[in-house]
Amino acid sequence: MATKSFSYEDGNLNASTIIGERSKKYIDIDLSFAARPDKDIYKKSDAAAVKQAVKNLLLTGRNEKPFLQNFGGDLGNVLFELVDEDAEDELEIVIENALDLYEPRAKLLYLDVKLLPDRNQIACKIIFRIVNTQEQVTLDTTLSRVR
Amino acid sequence: MATSIQSTRLDFDNIKNSLKTYFAQQSEFTDYDFEASGLSNILDVLAYNTHYNALTANFALNESFLNTAQLRSSIISHAATLGYEPRSVTTSSTSVSLSLNLAGVSGRPSVITLPAFTEFTSKVGDNTFSFRTLIDYLATDDGTGLYKFLNEEGTEGIPLYEGQKYTKTFYVGEVGERQLYVIPDDTMDTSTATVKVYDTVSSSAFTTYSRLSEAISITSESTLYQIAEAPNGFYELNFGDGVSFGRAPPTGGKITVEYLSTSGTDANGAFLFTPASNISVAGGAYTLAVSTLASSNGGAPKQSIESIRANAPIAFAAQQRLVTAEDYKAIILKRFSAVTDCAAWGGEDNIPANYGNTYVSLVFADGYTEAQKQVVKDNIRNNLTNNLSVISIDTVFSDPVTTYLQLSTTFNFNPALTGTTVKATENSVSNTTKTYFETNLKKFGGTFRRSNLLAEIDNISPAILNSATEIKLQQRFVPTLNVSTSYELVYPVRLAAADDVNVIVETSTFIFNNRICSIKNKLNTTTLQIVNSGAGIEVDNIGSYDPQTGIVSLTGFNPTSITAGVNYLKVTAIPANSSTIVPLRNYILDFDEEPSFANGIVDRQTQTAALSTASSSSSGSSSSGSSGSSGSSY
Repeated sequence: MATKSFSYEDGNLNASTIIGERSKKYIDIDLSFAARPDKDIYKKSDAAAVKQAVKNLLLTGRNEKPFLQNFGGDLGNVLFELVDEDAEDELEIVIENALDLYEPRAKLLYLDVKLLPDRNQIACKIIFRIVNTQEQVTLDTTLSRVR
Repeated sequence: MATSIQSTRLDFDNIKNSLKTYFAQQSEFTDYDFEASGLSNILDVLAYNTHYNALTANFALNESFLNTAQLRSSIISHAATLGYEPRSVTTSSTSVSLSLNLAGVSGRPSVITLPAFTEFTSKVGDNTFSFRTLIDYLATDDGTGLYKFLNEEGTEGIPLYEGQKYTKTFYVGEVGERQLYVIPDDTMDTSTATVKVYDTVSSSAFTTYSRLSEAISITSESTLYQIAEAPNGFYELNFGDGVSFGRAPPTGGKITVEYLSTSGTDANGAFLFTPASNISVAGGAYTLAVSTLASSNGGAPKQSIESIRANAPIAFAAQQRLVTAEDYKAIILKRFSAVTDCAAWGGEDNIPANYGNTYVSLVFADGYTEAQKQVVKDNIRNNLTNNLSVISIDTVFSDPVTTYLQLSTTFNFNPALTGTTVKATENSVSNTTKTYFETNLKKFGGTFRRSNLLAEIDNISPAILNSATEIKLQQRFVPTLNVSTSYELVYPVRLAAADDVNVIVETSTFIFNNRICSIKNKLNTTTLQIVNSGAGIEVDNIGSYDPQTGIVSLTGFNPTSITAGVNYLKVTAIPANSSTIVPLRNYILDFDEEPSFANGIVDRQTQTAALSTASSSSSGSSSSGSSGSSGSSY
């Protein structure tokens, strides 16, 4: 198959070939900011990076991210809401929408939210597939009030 | 390809995208593009920080210049560096005649004093306002027991000013410490302030200080104060230190400031004034009789920031001296809120030339009587021009002359392009014309440009295909009836030369020799004739007009009456150049709606060619039965 190249005026890409498909590796900063022995910080890659992003997304509150007020699952604030019979379903919809909108790398396979009002806790189990690698990841998180 | 971060972009998204562009060129991290990633969160922090700092820097830089500052406090500060004192809220004032009738009262004094700050009340709408005098006034018994209070000039008009009177007392500290005395009142009219300085706290003797901005000369012994608006909108009183601008108040002394805190514009229009209390004379209390000479006016809010922005540099250039025409304009507009517009020109530019004089023309705010206007003019002459102008240059006031424009506007109108009718569009054109005059003209230096007006008319509706307007200038004068008198009318521009088709100069109608007549120029000449309604010539030569100077002269004009129910005659003339009418000196252009009109001509744009209408219609009828080529015959 012939390679295609752009003119100099169109971006000086004459040496590049058009790539039809590329497998991209996900690399993110480890938000724990733990120090490596060489004084650098750790990275997270692939499934770990996406898992960190999903957790980050769900725990971000509304209006927390600058100029993107609808970003986040807002789980932290739900802890302080009154619990009724529809609360779990509503929360699942919120999480589904958040993942759908802001985390295109994760395809949601299973979602279960349990509100535990007696313990002031939210237990959340999310199973998703990494789009790039087809790897299946399970994220279990439990939020509880500290006061 | 971006190789570096574009640091000049202030918008958050742009900054973040710049950072992402940087990461796109690196292989270290790849998750910058996903909003939920840790990297994106860090980019948020970086971008927000940059955005915040950039905005702060941008605001700070904007506030650093008079041209771009948005905060009043910044503009006040910039104006202060130019030595400009923005005008405070201005009190509304009026002029009343005050008298007291003590006929029959035994033991009445020969002179009665009306003390300063005597209060009167008046209503504007549902709001009651307090008006008061600022100084003492005296009245003398006329022999019958009638006392009429007279002002400083010995006439009856006693000025009353709206506002509540306040007194602030300050104690003077050490001389070495420069003190600013704060008056926490943002509705203070600084022009009503009276500043008295006492040598000791208990002393009753005082020195009255005057305002620095009105000082004619300054020595170390001058008793001057400066009052300036502070950034928070309040006012600060400042004195010299014995060197810079006059004497410093003595340590251990006392300063009192009396002033009016005023409602400004709201109190304009008050007409009926009632004394708040009676006058005590010879053991009895008597009511003042008040007769209003003019309703209250002149109340104005603080000088707007746009006005300060425009005037501070001009006032700085004037340097408190009246040298150029712009100096007169800047200082008069700054000092006199009664004057809404001002024009000034040298005597050498006047017609006729009058060397050694500066001509000043003033437009006053609505509601000023001739007497009040004269007071303002006297104030300008006595307190301003006599002190600040170049020696040997006198000031001559010249009333504004209004030149009216009559517009005959026609436009082609295609009803298919709009939902409105020709009549409605004609009204829109008339309204646009009125708005054009209100916005651009009716002020000194307001120039009429025909193409600008026509552009606005064309923009009213897509249905207006094109427009044109004919201009006539109109001057008005009040003739003396039944007395043979000569008149001279000066137009601000050159007039059209006489020709054999158009009447260039024409007046409205009047009665002369018991006939309805008007004055017109004889075709092809500049001679003016009185012509009756039957086109008969009553007077063959009543004067002439000069196209070059724009002067229309009437000699021995003696009408019996004027027909239109008014006391003036309109003299219309066609200008030499209708495209631009530039009013010089004291001329102001206005719009005469009555003879002006807008006329729409329906143009459906269906006529494809107008070369031979007759042949095209015959060819159309003849070819109606053939294989359709009605359009091809063109």
